[in-house]
Amino acid sequence: MIFFLQNLVNALQWGSFYALIALGYSMVYGILMLFNFAHGDIFMVGAYIGFGVATGLLALVSTGMITAPNWMILVLTILFSMILTSFVGMIVERVGYRPLRDAPRASAAITGLMIGIILETGNLILLGARRVSFPALIQTETYNLGGVYITNKKIMIVVVSLALMLALHQFVQRTKWGMAMRAMAYDYTVVPLMGVSINTIARLTFAIGSALAAAAGILFGVAYPVLDPYMGIVFGWKAFVAAILGGRGSVLGATLAGFLLGFIEIFVAMIFPSTLRDLIAYSIILLILVFRPHGFFGEPYSARLRL
Amino acid sequence: MAENNGGGSVWVRTGQILTAFFSPIPLLGWLSGAVFAIFLEHIIGNSLAVLLGLPKIPVLFGFVIALKEPTLIPGAIAYVSLIFVIPICIIGRLSSPVTNLVAEKLLKLPLFFSVVFHVGILYGVLHFWSDISPYRVLTLKLTLIAVMMTLSLNVINGYMGEFSCSHPGFMALGAYAASVFSLVFFTKDRIFGEPLLSPVLGPFMFPLALIFGGMVAALGAMVIAIPSFRTRGDYLAIISLAFMFIVKSMIENLEVVGGPRGLSSQPNWANLPTVFIWTVLCIWIINNFVRSTLGKALNAVRDDEMAADAMTVNTRRTKMVAFLFAAFWAGVSGGLFAHVLRYVNPSTFGLQKLAEVLAMVYFGGLNSVYGSIVGAVSLSILGEMLRPLEIYKWIFIPLLLILVMIYRPTGLIAFKEFDVRSIVHPRKRDKE
Amino acid sequence: MRKGLFLVVVTLVVGFIFSPCTWGAPKTIKIGINAPITGDIPKVGEGTKYAAQMWLEDIKAAGGLDVGGTKYPVEIVIEDNEAKAESAVTTNLKMITEDEVLVIVGPQSSKQAVPAGDVAENYGTPMISPWSTNPDTTKDRPFVFRGCFLDPFQGPVLANFIKEEFGFTKAAVLYDVASDYPKGLAEYFKEAWEKINGKGSVVAFESFTTKDADFSSQLSKIIRSGAEVLFTPQYYNEVALIVQQAHELGWSNPIVGSDSWGSAETVELCGKNCYGLFFSTHYAAAGAKGKTQEFIERYEKKYGYVPDDVAALTWDSLGIVQAAIQSTGSLTGNIEKDRQSVRDAMAGVKEYEGITGKMTFTEEGDPIKCAVIVRISEKGEFEFYKSVCP
Repeated sequence: MIFFLQNLVNALQWGSFYALIALGYSMVYGILMLFNFAHGDIFMVGAYIGFGVATGLLALVSTGMITAPNWMILVLTILFSMILTSFVGMIVERVGYRPLRDAPRASAAITGLMIGIILETGNLILLGARRVSFPALIQTETYNLGGVYITNKKIMIVVVSLALMLALHQFVQRTKWGMAMRAMAYDYTVVPLMGVSINTIARLTFAIGSALAAAAGILFGVAYPVLDPYMGIVFGWKAFVAAILGGRGSVLGATLAGFLLGFIEIFVAMIFPSTLRDLIAYSIILLILVFRPHGFFGEPYSARLRL
Repeated sequence: MAENNGGGSVWVRTGQILTAFFSPIPLLGWLSGAVFAIFLEHIIGNSLAVLLGLPKIPVLFGFVIALKEPTLIPGAIAYVSLIFVIPICIIGRLSSPVTNLVAEKLLKLPLFFSVVFHVGILYGVLHFWSDISPYRVLTLKLTLIAVMMTLSLNVINGYMGEFSCSHPGFMALGAYAASVFSLVFFTKDRIFGEPLLSPVLGPFMFPLALIFGGMVAALGAMVIAIPSFRTRGDYLAIISLAFMFIVKSMIENLEVVGGPRGLSSQPNWANLPTVFIWTVLCIWIINNFVRSTLGKALNAVRDDEMAADAMTVNTRRTKMVAFLFAAFWAGVSGGLFAHVLRYVNPSTFGLQKLAEVLAMVYFGGLNSVYGSIVGAVSLSILGEMLRPLEIYKWIFIPLLLILVMIYRPTGLIAFKEFDVRSIVHPRKRDKE
Repeated sequence: MRKGLFLVVVTLVVGFIFSPCTWGAPKTIKIGINAPITGDIPKVGEGTKYAAQMWLEDIKAAGGLDVGGTKYPVEIVIEDNEAKAESAVTTNLKMITEDEVLVIVGPQSSKQAVPAGDVAENYGTPMISPWSTNPDTTKDRPFVFRGCFLDPFQGPVLANFIKEEFGFTKAAVLYDVASDYPKGLAEYFKEAWEKINGKGSVVAFESFTTKDADFSSQLSKIIRSGAEVLFTPQYYNEVALIVQQAHELGWSNPIVGSDSWGSAETVELCGKNCYGLFFSTHYAAAGAKGKTQEFIERYEKKYGYVPDDVAALTWDSLGIVQAAIQSTGSLTGNIEKDRQSVRDAMAGVKEYEGITGKMTFTEEGDPIKCAVIVRISEKGEFEFYKSVCP
């Protein structure tokens, strides 16, 4: 039982990363119907920007120019990086996606992949091949609750991710911008006729998606403090799986699918021999899709590639 | 405005002159030009290279050498134009009356002869071109394998309009199955011990090994083909992605075939003629497939599944056949790949490979045999030629791809039929 | 048309006349470096490249490589294999046939070294892979050597060390199932451990996949299994995460690692979590003496960090190559003959004093060398603890 609870805690933390990244992915996927294969690398860029900001702030503190406790630095880092990364997202949209708005979706998928490679290589050229260690902004404290070990980081990560998801949900459901986005997801062609600029919405979508990726990147840096230029690839593809599994344009769906993915990975490794983890985890996903061919929240629509 | 037109007209006129100059050259003419160029390179290549200050014959049209040492650029350009560009153009044009005549005569026989004749000359050209350096042979082999792979992915992603991510998985299945086949039956090695049959038979049985590899891949494709009856598009994309991960993880756990250590010491049977013949076969069969009723049914399924169903297309059968067929060829290409490198390991068939194949398909052009050939050849050769750029290569190639996607969103040559007859057809007769 | 023909004839004639003029002058010795500059493991490529450049500097400072009284200029050809098997094969072939290198150093990981070694063997070019631990790399290949010890040696060394040092009977192993080095070593360790402590004494044998960042599930299992020691033959980036997560999950027993820990980044990434842990390696950076210390200081000054094992092994491999070339006595200028004589000289290398230890090659081309057990001190330095020789 304790063993199970411990893994539940582990899965919550791991799942919240998948959920956060899948959320950013599903913003673009749900509203613009694009495969955003650069998303994993935007996550990487976000983590590196966060690293830069945090290091800079710590340096300022150490010179005595400003005084701030570590938690405040973390909050500032998250805020700044989210803003900066959202600009990166907007640039990616402008360069790689806007010119292809009327092209087949798969072409945009290829530009996404290529932008991803450029971001990785660019990072490699700028910073060299060494991995960087994310500054430890929070002193780890481990609580032992009857055999289940929980750290303050774990709590923080889950809380911050849930808060961000809630904020996004509120934004999409309550604001005018959110309404425009939902409308866009509903009908791509009619909405521009209603006086909503598709370019603005697309830019906003990318900005929000990238900001979420940056937040995920920093939280990742806090929990797993080793960053390297290629860290985003696997996350990008897994977010792709989660976003589609969750259904189109559904904040709740992507969140749940992200958590599901994390839970599957953790619990499969718990129950079965861990060498077979990928084999079993992906077989489960495959089976889910065989029996629920349209994911969890997706309506049975025919998603054709527009050729 | 007027000046603009005037400026433009110079280009237009040069273009017209060039077109007029080149239009009477049939494929046979180009090939004979190439034959001449190749022999020229064999005879004077070395001395010309030395004369132009190059260390040796530029191996891939001068790129490899010129990018490394910019001072050699003029020499490399001079070499390429003296050996390749000028002779091919001149011989092609000069011989055009003869070659047109030959092409016309050949065309009177069944098409088969004409095609075999052309392909034979093409092979000769490639053979003697690559004879200069083993590096050319290897590059050529890997390029041909990439063509097969791209073509088979185009059947699913282009003709059927799915976004399939499972191709590295099919390739892995084919590579391992073919390797195990040739290792168990015809080779003495560490894992499987003494061969079951005489190794002398081996090279003759190599096609069987490849077909076996293809079959296993096709069998694996059932895992995706069956769910594809009920689901399409994005959901199928992640099913196929999951399949790729499953295959990789499965092979990693199969200690019999070496697990992550991989499988090595495959016999050296995949020489250039073998790879070439299989590639030609692959192009020929896939081209016939996509131009058949079944191929048209595929397009119908892509454009509107319900309408296709109403028009008596058996959508299930169509999808099933397409998946099995594409996977078969991916498996064959995997088998060749394993025998060219003489080593396979599961991590070769991962996300990196996937990005590579996808890029080739979409760069070349969807729904087109031409496009796949162009995409695979240009990206593989470009990858080799730009080696001296080192890390910047991975900025340059993606940028190029993005530009192509922006200006030609469906790829370089999309939706074009590969009509063999019109390719080997003689051009209009020279008036001279 | 006449002009074209004329040009061709002129070219031919002039070409034949001038072609012998380029002979003469001592030919440049070219050394090929086949490294993963881009791809999954760019750090490995960077270490290789830096070590090679430092080596070249030394040679240049000496005015070339002295072989039998003649000073030959040396050039290194660095090629990127993108961490792909097929790319490693093409780069090897390109270096052999196009650049006409005398010797190839690399590729580093077995995934590339095994197929690339085949090419080197077929074209009779000596190749030394500094870092590849797969036995297949050098097996039945007289032209292929390696610079590091093999897993079948390291596994028992660690098992014995843990037994002697702590006297434990239950061990757990955590490794990357998709990467051949950790997997191989994990299996050899398990075998050795079970030989000492009996069957079932490896109470947890857990794995993950390359690029994973969360090991909590596997670690929870390990903790529950009641293991007394955790052995993890992982690379330094994963080490940092594994150790940290293990401590967060309440693990307080020792964690032991292998030579892949031997990078300055281990401590940099892992911090205080790693203090006091043991691992086996080729050399200990802290408290190193003589040549080793010199190398480390120079490298650190030049590139800003302490070299990892890849850089050190590459440096040694280049040293062996240099020694082999010099001991041939003279180079003929005929590249094929020279390659053969360099290979023979390399196979005959005895007790080469490298910075990672003394090396003598076996018949397979694998070195016999000692392993060092290192303790990460409270200052985050790698302290020499003891040395184990075969």
